[in-house]
Amino acid sequence: MTQTLATRRPWLVRIALVLFLAAAVHVMAIWAAPRVIMAVLLQRLPGTSPDTASGAFFPPAVTASSRAVVMPSPDMLYSICLIDVAQGPVHITAHPELRSYWSIALYADNSDNYFVLNDRQAGTRPVDLWVVPHDASPVRKAAPAGATVVVAPSRRGLLLMRVLTGNYTVEKDVLEKARRSLACTAGPV
Amino acid sequence: MAALLLGLGSAWWVLKKATWMNRAVSVGAWSTSLEAGSARANLYTRAVVAMNGLLALGSQETMYFVARADDTGLPLRASCSYRISGVAPAARWWSITAYADDMFLFDAPNQHYSLNATTAALDAQGRFMLATGQKETPGLFWLPTLGDRGLVLTLRLYNPDITVQKAPASLQVPSITPLGNCA
Repeated sequence: MTQTLATRRPWLVRIALVLFLAAAVHVMAIWAAPRVIMAVLLQRLPGTSPDTASGAFFPPAVTASSRAVVMPSPDMLYSICLIDVAQGPVHITAHPELRSYWSIALYADNSDNYFVLNDRQAGTRPVDLWVVPHDASPVRKAAPAGATVVVAPSRRGLLLMRVLTGNYTVEKDVLEKARRSLACTAGPV
Repeated sequence: MAALLLGLGSAWWVLKKATWMNRAVSVGAWSTSLEAGSARANLYTRAVVAMNGLLALGSQETMYFVARADDTGLPLRASCSYRISGVAPAARWWSITAYADDMFLFDAPNQHYSLNATTAALDAQGRFMLATGQKETPGLFWLPTLGDRGLVLTLRLYNPDITVQKAPASLQVPSITPLGNCA
């Protein structure tokens, strides 16, 4: 009667099974890491209520006590919006009116940066963006005149506006006005 | 249980210790990921960036060069002093920031967390110079690095020149030189 590998070398099969399962766990952990980190961030960022008028968060200038996200840049003032297109598009407006660097970046729930607009690209025009779900109908993906439509690859995500601050103490009034021009509101296109 | 421990342990090791899995270019003591923040990033790059530099921007917008060792290859320590010098990088705006090995800022008593294109004083050759360490080095801009732990330096280039975007290795990176003896 022919013996199988499992009966002749049971330990070999056990080791192979452990290695196979370990490889599967490894890949799943690597895949899940950015998603889990983003989910935690979306849950706890920024730890306070958003501005009721704009729907955006305006965290204080970065210091050593800024520990919500790794590698905070002390050279940037941030504005944040939590994006959720499950119920429909999110309308984003801003008018920083700065001659120095600023940008508005959108991140998916796996941490990918899927859209960015900076001061040079925007020029002197106010920012007028519509973030729509990827399964939105063509009608809902159609932008109003002058607006830009961005298709979100995931239901939930994050908007991060960066405003350059070379010297916050000196530039505070201008920069705070610029970053607080951001508003994120839900509404139909 | 063994498979679970092995799988999770190897994943942690890859993300924290084997950053070579992340597609990167090294220039001197500095290295930069080519796909940080990008939807083109592979599984490992996306995870490494999420753990060490979440919410990064793509290279057209910002390039991040990271140094964890000095020019001689020795790991950077917060308890040691270093002189960092170089020419202003080819970018619209730049900054050098000192982070502790947990990737958060040091509690700097002088509120200096970075040297940047706005605050840097360039000499006649267009070079800047700064020092990190526990104590101020006379005559040099001081980034305090308190405690006895690892030190990570990050050079950010905002809207880097197209030549640097296409060939990151062409960037003239700042030198990182130990000051004095450091055990």
